[in-house]
Amino acid sequence: MIEGRGITKTFGKGVKALRGVDFAIPRGGAVSFIGESGCGKTTLGRILAGLETFDGGQLLRDGEPIKGNAFRRIQLIHQDPYSALNPTRTIESTLRDPLRLRAGQTGRGERWINEKVDELLSLVGLEPAYVLERYPHQLSGGMRQRVVIARALTVEPEVLVADEAVSMIDVSLRLGILGLLRSLRETLGVSVLFITHDVATARYVGADGELYVIYRGTVVERGPVETVLSDPVHPYTQCLLSAIPVLHGLEKPGPDRLVPNEPLDERTDPPGCLFAPRCPFATPVCVERPPPLGRLGHTPQDHACLFPASRHVVAVPLR
Amino acid sequence: MSIVELSRVTAPGVSIEDLTIAYGGLPAVSSVSLELKPGTITGLVGESGSGKSTLALALLGAVQKPGKVTQGKVVIDGIGDVTRLNPEDLRRVRGAEIGYVFQAAQNSLNPLKTVGKQLLDLGKAHGVRDLREAHPLLERMGLNADRVLRSYQHELSGGMRQRVGIMFALVLNAHVLVLDEPTTALDMITQANILQIVREIQRDRSLTTLVVTHDVGVVAEVAQRIAVMYGGRIVEQGDSTRIISRPRHPYTRALINAIPRLTGDIDAAKPLPGTPPTLATIPKVGCVFRQRCPLRMEICDTVEPPTLGGVACHAVNKGEAP
Repeated sequence: MIEGRGITKTFGKGVKALRGVDFAIPRGGAVSFIGESGCGKTTLGRILAGLETFDGGQLLRDGEPIKGNAFRRIQLIHQDPYSALNPTRTIESTLRDPLRLRAGQTGRGERWINEKVDELLSLVGLEPAYVLERYPHQLSGGMRQRVVIARALTVEPEVLVADEAVSMIDVSLRLGILGLLRSLRETLGVSVLFITHDVATARYVGADGELYVIYRGTVVERGPVETVLSDPVHPYTQCLLSAIPVLHGLEKPGPDRLVPNEPLDERTDPPGCLFAPRCPFATPVCVERPPPLGRLGHTPQDHACLFPASRHVVAVPLR
Repeated sequence: MSIVELSRVTAPGVSIEDLTIAYGGLPAVSSVSLELKPGTITGLVGESGSGKSTLALALLGAVQKPGKVTQGKVVIDGIGDVTRLNPEDLRRVRGAEIGYVFQAAQNSLNPLKTVGKQLLDLGKAHGVRDLREAHPLLERMGLNADRVLRSYQHELSGGMRQRVGIMFALVLNAHVLVLDEPTTALDMITQANILQIVREIQRDRSLTTLVVTHDVGVVAEVAQRIAVMYGGRIVEQGDSTRIISRPRHPYTRALINAIPRLTGDIDAAKPLPGTPPTLATIPKVGCVFRQRCPLRMEICDTVEPPTLGGVACHAVNKGEAP
C-alpha cells in the first residue's frame, strides 16, 4: 500500500499546486486522478515518482516513509513515448542496460538478461524478434509506449505512474495500451496510478479502481470509478463530464448537461469553496468556508460540496 | 482589387478533385476528392500519417517541399484552383480569404511581440488598416480584448491562445476556415468551450469550415459532414450522424468502436489490431486498410477499391458487409 497524507506543494511566487491531498493506492489496485491542466495531478504523480519534492505531509509505503532508493519501486510512464526513449539506441540496448545493472547486483548472468528481455517484451505484447534490433523511430507510437512500459518493468516496480500515457497514442491503439496496464495489474500485481484529463479512459485501467477528481490542488470528489462517473455529485465533476463530446448519432446529451464555463482567475484564492466562483449552483454560504471532503448527504462517494446533488450530465445512449 | 471587395457575404464552396500529393514519389494524399459545402462544417478524421494535415495544407496552397501536388486541383469559389496560383496571389488569399488555425496554434504566436503588434503586422502584410474587427471577435469568444491585445503569448492560457489563433484567421474576413487539431493540447472544459465557439462563429459569419482531427468525438460535436482518412485515401464520407450511428467502412466502424466510453460495458470497446501505416509502409497496390481489416478478400490485395456511395471498400460495395 502506497499512501500520501496531507501532501502540500507550493511553487515559487506562492502558486499552490497541492493543498493537502490524501490518497491511497492498494497493492495491485488502480487509482485515477482526473482534472484540468494545472489542477496539480501531474505534480502529485511526479512527487510520488520522486521527481519533485513536497513541502508538507507524508509519503508512505506500508506505513514507512518512502525515501532514496525506495522511489525506484515507483516508475513513471511519460506522455510522449518518443521523447522518453533514446533515439540513438536500439530497443534491445534500451532494455538491457537496466537489466545488466540488476544482474550485476544479484549475481546473475547474460542468460538471465536475454530471457528477461524476451519475457518483458512478450509481456507488453511485442514480438521480440521484430523490435529488438529496431530504433524508436521505426516503431509506431503504440509500440514505443509498450517499450517504455517494458523498460519501467525491468526494475520490478510496485507502482506504475502513467501520466497521460495514451493521449499521444493513435486512437485505434489506445485501448490496447489501457488493456495492457489492466492486465499488468492482474499478472504482476503492480498498481497503477493513472493521471488523465480524458475521463472515460480512467474506466479502462480497471473498473474496480478509485477515481480522484482534483481541482486546484484539492480532491473534490473521490470514490469507485463507476460510482463517480455514473452518479457524480460535485458540480465540478459534473462540469468535467459535461465537457466530454457527445457522439451525436449514437447518443444524446444528458438532460442536465452543464455548459462549462472558463476558469475565472486562478491567481485569486477565495476563502470558501475554490470552485464557487465558477460554480453554476454556488450560494452565499459557499464562499464563506471551504467544504470538507466527506459524505455529506449520505452519498456513496466522498465529495467536497455543501450541496451535493445528482445530475444526469453524461450522454445517454440512443439504443 | 482590395481585400474588402474580394470578400463576400455568402460562404464559398471548396472542391477538392482527384488530388494527389507526394513526398519524393511517395503519395501522402492519393486521388482524394472531397466537397466542402458552403456554410457547413466538415470534419476530416484520421490517425497519424493518414495524410489529413497534408490535405488541409493543400487548401492553403502550402504543401511543404519536398511535398508536391502531382495531380488534381483544389477549387475555392471566387479564387479558383489554389494549386495553380502564383506566389503573390497565394500570399494575398492566405489570411484574407482562407483562414488557417495551425496545429498547436498556441505555439504559433510570436513570443517577442504582443498580440496587438502581431495583428498590425498581419494588417500591414495585407494592406489593411482597419483592424477594429479584432475587438468584437475576441469579445465574442469571451475574452477581454484590450487585455489580450496588450499581452504576450506567455501571458495567455492555452485556450486563450487558441482563440487568438481563430481571431487571426478571421479578422480579415476570411470565409473559408481550416482548423488543424484545434483542441488537441487543451483539456476537456477548454475543448468544449472552443468547440462551442467554432459552432457559433460558423453560424454567425457563414463560414465554410474544415476541422482536421484525430478525435471522432470532436467532429461528432461540431461537424455536419465527416470524411475519414486512412493511408492517404478518404475511405468513407457522408453525413455526420449517419456515419457515427451506422459506419459502413470497416475502418470507420473499428475506429468508432475503439473510443473509450463513459457508460456501457468496457469490454465492448476494442482496439484495432496492427498499426496505422506510415508514408513508407502504405501498400502500393490494393486496399490500404486490408492488413488490419476483418473483411479482407482476395481482390483487396490487388485492386484498390473504388469509392461508391461515399465508401471505398470491396466488401461493402459487394454487399458483403452491412
